[in-house]
Amino acid sequence: MTDRYVELHAASAFSFLEGASQPESLVERAVDLEMPAMALLDRNGVYGSARFHTSAKLNDIRAHVGAEVSVSSLGQRLKPPSWLPHQHVAEPARLPLLCKSRKGYQNLCQLITQFKMRETTKQEGAANFDDLEQYASGLVCLTGGDEGPLAAALMRGGEEAGREALERLLVIFGSSNVYVELQRHQEREQEWRNQAAIRIARSLKLPVLATNGVRYATPYDREILDLFTAVRNHTELDRAGRLLALNNQRHLRSAVEMTALFHDVHGAVENTVELSSRLQFKLADLGYEFPRYPVPHGETMDSFLQKRVEEGVVRRYSPKRDAALFDRAKKQVEYELRLITKLGFAGYFLIVWDIVQFCKERNILIQGRGSAANSAVCYALEITAVDPVGMDLLFERFLSESRGEWPDIDLDLPSEDNREEAIQHVYQRYGELGAAMTANVISYRGKSAAREVGKALGFDPESLQRLSSLVNHFEWRGPTDTMAHSFQHAGFDLKHPRIAKYLELCMRIQDLPRHLGQHSGGMVICQGQLNCVVPLERASMPGRTVVQWDKEDCSDLGIIKVDLLGLGMMAVLQDCLELIPKHYGDKVDLAQLPEDDDVYRALQRADTVGMFQVESRAQMASLPRNYPTEFYDVVVQVAIIRPGPIVGKMMHPYMRRRQKKEKVTYPHPSLQPVLERTLGVPLFQEQLLRMAMTVANFSGAEAEELRRAVGMRRSWERMKNLEGKLRAGMTANEIDPATQEMIIQNISSFALYGFPESHAASFALIAYASAYFKVKYLAAFTCAILNNQPMGFYMPAVLVKDAQRHGLRVKPIDIQISDWACTVEHEADGSLSLRLGLGYAKGLRQQSGEAIAFSRREHGPFLTVEDLTLRIPSLNRKELTLLARIGALNQLGGIKHRRDALWQVERAGKLEGPLLRQRSELLREISETTPLQQMSTKERLAADYAGTGLTIGRHPMAYRRPELRRQHVLSAEELRSRRDGEFVRTAGCVIARQRPGTAMGFIFLSMEDETGIANVIVTPDLYERQRLVVTRSKFILAEGPLQNQDGVIHVKASRLLPLSDQTLEIRSHDFH
Amino acid sequence: MSNIPQLYACLYAKEFPAQALLRLRPELYNLPCVVMDGEPPFQQVCSLNTKARLLGMDHGMTRVEVDTFPNPLVLSRSVQTEAVTKGILLECAGAFSPLTEDLSKDTACICCIDISGTTNLFGPPEILANTLLERVRSLGILAQVSVSSNFHAAVCLAKGLSLRNSIQVIASGKESEGLASLPLTVLDLTEPQKETFAIWGIHTLGMLAALPEEELIARMGQEGKRLWQLAHGNCAHLFMPVELNFVLEERMELDNPVELLDSLLFVINVMLDQLVLRAKARILALASVTITLSLEGGRSHSRTVRPALPSIDKQLWIKLLHLDLEAHPPHAAILAVILHAEPGSISKVQSGLFSPQLPEPTRLDVTLARISAIVGEGNLGRAVLEDTHAPEGFRIEPFTLPARDSAPIAPSQTQLSMRKLRPPETVLVRLQNSRPTALVYRERRYVVEHAYGPWLAEGDWWNQTLWGFEQWDIVARAQDGSLLCCCIMRDLMHDEWQMAALYD
Repeated sequence: MTDRYVELHAASAFSFLEGASQPESLVERAVDLEMPAMALLDRNGVYGSARFHTSAKLNDIRAHVGAEVSVSSLGQRLKPPSWLPHQHVAEPARLPLLCKSRKGYQNLCQLITQFKMRETTKQEGAANFDDLEQYASGLVCLTGGDEGPLAAALMRGGEEAGREALERLLVIFGSSNVYVELQRHQEREQEWRNQAAIRIARSLKLPVLATNGVRYATPYDREILDLFTAVRNHTELDRAGRLLALNNQRHLRSAVEMTALFHDVHGAVENTVELSSRLQFKLADLGYEFPRYPVPHGETMDSFLQKRVEEGVVRRYSPKRDAALFDRAKKQVEYELRLITKLGFAGYFLIVWDIVQFCKERNILIQGRGSAANSAVCYALEITAVDPVGMDLLFERFLSESRGEWPDIDLDLPSEDNREEAIQHVYQRYGELGAAMTANVISYRGKSAAREVGKALGFDPESLQRLSSLVNHFEWRGPTDTMAHSFQHAGFDLKHPRIAKYLELCMRIQDLPRHLGQHSGGMVICQGQLNCVVPLERASMPGRTVVQWDKEDCSDLGIIKVDLLGLGMMAVLQDCLELIPKHYGDKVDLAQLPEDDDVYRALQRADTVGMFQVESRAQMASLPRNYPTEFYDVVVQVAIIRPGPIVGKMMHPYMRRRQKKEKVTYPHPSLQPVLERTLGVPLFQEQLLRMAMTVANFSGAEAEELRRAVGMRRSWERMKNLEGKLRAGMTANEIDPATQEMIIQNISSFALYGFPESHAASFALIAYASAYFKVKYLAAFTCAILNNQPMGFYMPAVLVKDAQRHGLRVKPIDIQISDWACTVEHEADGSLSLRLGLGYAKGLRQQSGEAIAFSRREHGPFLTVEDLTLRIPSLNRKELTLLARIGALNQLGGIKHRRDALWQVERAGKLEGPLLRQRSELLREISETTPLQQMSTKERLAADYAGTGLTIGRHPMAYRRPELRRQHVLSAEELRSRRDGEFVRTAGCVIARQRPGTAMGFIFLSMEDETGIANVIVTPDLYERQRLVVTRSKFILAEGPLQNQDGVIHVKASRLLPLSDQTLEIRSHDFH
Repeated sequence: MSNIPQLYACLYAKEFPAQALLRLRPELYNLPCVVMDGEPPFQQVCSLNTKARLLGMDHGMTRVEVDTFPNPLVLSRSVQTEAVTKGILLECAGAFSPLTEDLSKDTACICCIDISGTTNLFGPPEILANTLLERVRSLGILAQVSVSSNFHAAVCLAKGLSLRNSIQVIASGKESEGLASLPLTVLDLTEPQKETFAIWGIHTLGMLAALPEEELIARMGQEGKRLWQLAHGNCAHLFMPVELNFVLEERMELDNPVELLDSLLFVINVMLDQLVLRAKARILALASVTITLSLEGGRSHSRTVRPALPSIDKQLWIKLLHLDLEAHPPHAAILAVILHAEPGSISKVQSGLFSPQLPEPTRLDVTLARISAIVGEGNLGRAVLEDTHAPEGFRIEPFTLPARDSAPIAPSQTQLSMRKLRPPETVLVRLQNSRPTALVYRERRYVVEHAYGPWLAEGDWWNQTLWGFEQWDIVARAQDGSLLCCCIMRDLMHDEWQMAALYD
């Protein structure tokens, strides 16, 4: 019945801190009110419109698109009069604009882009009359509520000024496109303005339009808006005064309410329906065009692509010397190219190819990941490194005819700098308005919510710090692990009303957007017209522009994107490729790494610290069971330790079968070829597709649709249809109902979390390369990984200790030798060792470190501390103390030990002026010897950890070993020789704490001692009892029964004891 | 200058907030007790007794953390009690020498007494220290006492003493040895100094004293020299004895309970004489007078009078006190009177020869006090609007001369005026479809002709003081045809109708 009113002026939380409801909540409320359509007008953008559109489509509501655009020429927006105390700051009035047609939408996007890009930094910006005149066509303009130009003009100069403002808008937009807006929030002053507006409308013969200027879905949400207002104005609720809303009337209202409210204004409510019917534009008709790649004269993009692919096939497959494979590859490529031509995707492949070529020219390692590795075309274009033909991967997972959406290629690049280079290349090639980063909406999460709500409620900084540091980052959220629980642990009394309100608000703003950031690597490209598709704006990083939608929004609206991602391990590999030929004299080619038994032995032993993807505790715990002996085993290994296979209960059957403890069976004989490689257990998304194709005669495209339907939780309808089709197919193939049920079960439980085989293969390649380099070229690998921190699962201290256990000599930071980065050194006996770089001195500025290395290269070694300070004047006292403390100055003349150096730098750090220094003999110290005692071993250890975060000396646990032995505490190595079930005690330094979401609240502690790493399992029960020990202690003694199954060793702790930590500053990697 | 050798005794009481609160409550000695400081709900433990420490409680814990222990006794910090207790300690120390320096900091009470030349009076230092400690103990405070011929050595030593060994005397010339084993924490080092000594491996005063002096100064400057001397026990000190506070207070217990204000004024008259006399002796005047009346039933009644200028005009004071007590009479018979006065300087301002004559300030004070007595306190001054939507969004500020001429406020377009009723009057309203149709106001019945509204306002939802109301602008007519234009208001919290304002 409510088709008598359409809300045409609503803002969501995407008006960043000026709206309090998600677009989805607004749609939900509109559905409740049976509203047939609604318009979303966020501040200076269409940030929320993609989500609004998607949600409206699902709910069968028409979503109108628009924005409230700041216009500086319209003067300042309404403020309380100057005689009333208030804190309103001057802001331009905002003009509500609605899109009638695609032209209107394109104009709106261009208008917003124009004034946003006029700013040189990330700013709100404002349009002027010239901009409006340029882009007015296809747009309908409302006169706005409190934020709008009419209210501002009326208060500034009465009805006369109001009429003038309106006449100006009439000139710009035309008389049929201007509506005089009336809002009634039960405020006295507003009604005065309404009466004036009605008189003006009547005199200018303009239609009036009722809206509610919606800022939130329900009256209750007004509290969130007030909270946001306080946050936005950097004040507290108690001090916000008139900035806050007067009442809670700006919620979505029903037609009945609106009709009653505007009973005295003829046509105001009816006009909303009329205007709504004029707004024909939907986001689905975006008019996004596929990017084109510039090709030489006489070529089409298709022909150009075909040539590049043909060259690539020869380059990739001829060295394999396998004629049959070559033929299969050619056939596959032909098939793929046909489809690409048909779908018109050649431009996209060429754009990605171009980026890859650019990187190759500059010796930047680049590799595609994800489902692109299923494509032989991608392999031929050197976008990916996995041979999909040789590995028999399924192309349909990447691209299918019926899907109606663009393929998605993710590219991994070594480092931030390289990635930036590639991104800037894309900007240059496609122009400022042709390419931009996708946005990343920063939303309120536990910590940020706790901090900002606390500030708004006026909590002092210390309490806030205490609180936000305690908001838990565990993945698993147990029954007691709520925010309320965290609050209690932080020492807050939940019975206190203000604390209770605080907690409530923290919960309510979870996931609401706060501001727009940029996505780390997602780029959208559109041949110079991206600003017609979505507004662009400056990112906070200089030289970057960002679109107003995030990755999912772009994908929902079918906008093509390329992900350029930084992957730390790629940087390590790239460094290895330089270090290995230089120091070992070996030539290595990543594409041609040999299969090596030593490497597989290391993997089988789970001796994998530092290796890509296989180094985590969970990976280590499964490696001895999987016992990889060939490359495909690594592919499985990478894929299997994931939430999907674990939740889908695939991991254990696979491992049992792998260990021959269970027979390999198949749900149906026809599935044997599909599941043979994974011993009858479906692990990969590609297998799911093939299963459907085999048992139910699905086409590749249908199978892919099935996978996506299962993956999307909301599309039950589609899933039902496909399930029916699946069953029908299986029945046609004479598969009995019980087996059918099992297969469907298999598909639905797994598809939610499955991993594409192609992605696993791409990652397995990197994993194998990292394992190969670590086993064969330990010095180079360790050097590279230490130079690319932070990355991976372990802290540098653990990596160094692991390398030392494998026989690598690691040498200390020495200002006479060390560079900024770690380096490989050649020993007299021909072996290689690793020299820690000055970069590992925590607190030394890079500029100072590099000055040291430069001065040494240019002018030879430093003689004394004084010489050092004179040659490197930028070194400050703190840095000198730091270097002395970690022993980096021990090789200077006249220095016997670290304390000696400390004594001398303290003097050298306070040099006399140049005049006095000329008479330096007068300033000479009386005694030659230092009065300070040499550091004890313990003190050296503490200094090492405090100054560098690691030690190259003995492991801290080694010093305690005799004492621990007396207490019958076993080392990590000794645990390996103990029987399953035996009661043991072990102790170590905690290097990682984990509470995986799949482990029902169990916590895993990785503890290191001088012999290796031991794993301890903490039950939820024990955690509750010994929370502080588990989360805070650096050294722990654990006792309990040993679990020794298939060479995988855990201690199931029944008791934990903290060991005193000698004030060592050891960092662990927690809660990932 | 005399030749008497210098000698100092240092008295050191730690966990002073807890000690001060527990001093007169021996029944609580055996309970774990913590003292919380700060505003609720953010209090933290600032002090605790040994029993609590043994249970695992510590400084900086929050209320909820403390509550996890079995039956802790939680007290709130009382600065007044600490000040009183400190006063008692200083007084106790002052009995041994008039030269006492107060060095109290944070949660410790420290005072150093110059006891040079007191041997004949109190015996050798050991005896004196013992006597002092016993007297302090009898006051209910546990403390340590050290004696040294160097002021700082005595302070350091006292800080380093344990409860078990609560007295130590260093012989003159043996300071360095006596201090050697003490940790550096007794020195009040800055953070950078702490850090430097820690990485140098210097942990005790002995180790610090062993460093070569000049080279230390080359590294740490004059501050290094001072620390070095402190460690040696030969750092000089300029003694700054505390001056006992000049307190203008008179107290009188009444023989019989007094109920009549007039008879009280006789007593006040006598007491004011004394106060004025004492103040005059120091060429001071009385800036304010607080009268505290102990009443029957254990309660007390306290009022403060503060005229614009300090005065020694006894008659003025009596008048002001009289007016104030008349406006705020005590509700029971009076048992005792305490008059406490704050001293202020006598202000005699010479007016310019040709400047216009102003009213005498003291007379204006009396006038304002008279008005205040009639209209109630806080209702005298000028109204200032506040930045809030709340209905009573103003406060009263005392009159002040504006710093500069405020800009004239431009008259708004509409010249409608209204009279706000304060406090609002009750009105009976009849509603139909949630709109007012008739009302009864001041016993007359009106029929509503026009109703504009409701105007809604609500706020402070995050506080317990949340408010909300709806207003209607009404044109109503009585049976006799008289017109009423008014604003009625419904308090949404209590669902009450009130007449908020009348439009003229």
